[in-house]
Amino acid sequence: MKKLLLIALMASALFAQVKQSEEIAVPYIPYPIKMGKGFNAVQANCLTCHSFGYIINQGPQSKDFWAGKVVKMVVHFKAPIDKKDTQTIIDYLYKHYGNGKLK
Amino acid sequence: MKRRDFFKTSLAAAGALSIGTSLEAAHQPKDGQVISPLAFPEKRPMITYSDRPPLLESPRHVFARPITENDDFFVRWHMPEIPTYIDLETFRIKVSGLVNKEFEVSLHDLKTQYEQVEVTAALQCGGNSRSAFTPTAGGIQWGSGAMGCAKWKGVRLRDLLNRAGLKKDAKWIGFNGLETASYYKTPNFIRELQLEELDDHVIVAYEMNDEDLPYLNGFPLRLVIPGTYSDSWVKMLSEIRVTSDYEKLFFMDIAYRVPDNECECEEPHKKYPTTKPITKMNVKSVIGYPENDATIQNGSHIVVRGVAFDDGTGITDVLISTDKGKTWDKALLDNGEAGRYAFRGFRYAFKPKTQGKLTIMSKAVNRSGEEQPFAKDIKWNHGGYKYNGIDEVTVEVI
Repeated sequence: MKKLLLIALMASALFAQVKQSEEIAVPYIPYPIKMGKGFNAVQANCLTCHSFGYIINQGPQSKDFWAGKVVKMVVHFKAPIDKKDTQTIIDYLYKHYGNGKLK
Repeated sequence: MKRRDFFKTSLAAAGALSIGTSLEAAHQPKDGQVISPLAFPEKRPMITYSDRPPLLESPRHVFARPITENDDFFVRWHMPEIPTYIDLETFRIKVSGLVNKEFEVSLHDLKTQYEQVEVTAALQCGGNSRSAFTPTAGGIQWGSGAMGCAKWKGVRLRDLLNRAGLKKDAKWIGFNGLETASYYKTPNFIRELQLEELDDHVIVAYEMNDEDLPYLNGFPLRLVIPGTYSDSWVKMLSEIRVTSDYEKLFFMDIAYRVPDNECECEEPHKKYPTTKPITKMNVKSVIGYPENDATIQNGSHIVVRGVAFDDGTGITDVLISTDKGKTWDKALLDNGEAGRYAFRGFRYAFKPKTQGKLTIMSKAVNRSGEEQPFAKDIKWNHGGYKYNGIDEVTVEVI
């Protein structure tokens, strides 16, 4: 009996099962965002709310599309992006993740 | 057919296809995306579009089985801040608004004071397969794995509302979860449903496939609305609020909507002026086995497997074609015991008789006679929602 108890104790120490009620940690993934003019504004404004994965995984898009996305962040999601940064970010997104079309 | 002739035909077909795609609004969704080596909590490594908020897609092989395991189940959040710890001692769900008696209930009381019910239901993001659309529709470019099917256990929403007692002018129910934005002014991810849309199949679930919900799928509690797209299946549900009027909300008024016309479609440069919510799922099937680019021995016995589902109307047939859609043959369906909202598993055994590329297609048909269109016949919408083209995989027969 004693021996069994000891084994049980050892097992619980070795394989201390994580309870669901314990805290989880969501990993950080370094998405390979392109560097270039305007990147600082992108990093300062966009990363507060979402990963670069959101940008990369939209697919190549028109300038109008990217402008619409940035405006949506300001108008609907209330991101405090000033006018100058808004234009800088749109230009950056179109240059690096554009499809060559304005509309 | 001689082997050389076969190659000629398939080349011609391939040529037609590649010319076709540039003119058509949809083609096969992306497939074979990279699986991130890094696993998220309580998940196996998955296709990972974003870590914050987490966006994880299940790879195709998962759909060879009609139940999606919790570790493989897709993940989609809207806000960057998700609670990474929930204390079940203090966690409460609140029912408030136009009710006779507002109240809060703990998970323990939910499990012991109400009738416990189960429903097996498919859960699919409205933007599942969005990568099929041309020109690219805005949003995450999901392949076909932003979906899954689980057995959910919980209590009926109706029972919670009955305990609170609805006031006479109660009409809308708002659901709020615990995810939050970086800025307090950002709208919460609240969903509103009309009371009359809610039937007894709508449950507040705390278990998924006989286990607690994984954190990333909404631990400890989420809304389950069988037959509808997942945008309203609020995760980490904390508040149910009854109102008389519809409140204007971003996630109801702008996101998750399609053109309000018969075809639910529009031209990329001429958006349709009015929209409607995506709500009920259309008929769809996905092949889980074999996968694209698999190598198969000529003359060997292979079993195609996959899943089919709709809004609960009920799948009656899944048809398989191995000649690019010229002829169709019925697959065998599972017994359907999991219910009308569940993935219906299908299987189709055959022996390939010719070497070279072979395309296998699946087409689901439901009780109303609705069937999946060819990808090329799917019309475009700006949100890239509700794609349900005939699925196909192409393998190499050697």
